Amino acid sequence: MHFHSLFRGIIFALSIALSSTCVAADAPYAKITFPSDGAKLGAMSQNRIDYEVVPGPQGDHIHLYVDNKEAVILRKLSGSHELDPLPQGAHTLCIKVVNKAHVPIGVEQCVKVSVE
Amino acid sequence: MDLQNLGYALTQVVHNFGASAVLGGAVASLWLAPRAELHRCMAWLVLSGWAAQIASGATFGAISFYYYGQFPDLSTVAMVALAIKVACAVSGFALAAFYLRYGASRPESWHRSVWLILTILAATALTAAAFLRWFS
Repeated sequence: MHFHSLFRGIIFALSIALSSTCVAADAPYAKITFPSDGAKLGAMSQNRIDYEVVPGPQGDHIHLYVDNKEAVILRKLSGSHELDPLPQGAHTLCIKVVNKAHVPIGVEQCVKVSVE
Repeated sequence: MDLQNLGYALTQVVHNFGASAVLGGAVASLWLAPRAELHRCMAWLVLSGWAAQIASGATFGAISFYYYGQFPDLSTVAMVALAIKVACAVSGFALAAFYLRYGASRPESWHRSVWLILTILAATALTAAAFLRWFS
């Protein structure tokens, strides 16, 4: 009886430990929360991009690209960044997680926006 | 242990010691009393340092390419800094080699000029490295 309780306690502790390990090792992702894909932005407005990232074990920080050109380095893993004025027309905004050597590790998201 | 990070770290070790050698060797030669034998040793140190810088710099790129199929994404500022570093490394290596090959019969003033140029090249490369690191 005593051993049975002990065994159940060990199993319970192990399951807690394993589940917390799984939570700690979140799968990496990059998400642009604003603007949404296909959004229309004002040419005269102060536009921004909101984002959140989980870099994963290989990621370190974020590069923001406007029309495939690196615009800025983002070292906060979530937040907001004011964009430089964009000319009218279609544009692509991308955030990419990069490692310490500034190499994109394949975790990224892009949105297409239209500035009017 | 993660092999990718181990590769980057070991390459960084070589790169750091190379940087120490090119700047330390050149500055020491400027400040120490001129002695041909010592200056030849220092020139070998500086030559080895620049070789280490070039090799380890290329290795950084190779590791990135091996693991991700692409080189680091660099901003304009970082690209300029990298170009400056490469120019300094190539010039420093060539000058140190020239010094070792043809420096023996040159006057003292020529030696001093070479060490001054090597110091400037090393200091410039190290300064550019900081911009490359933080503007990428």
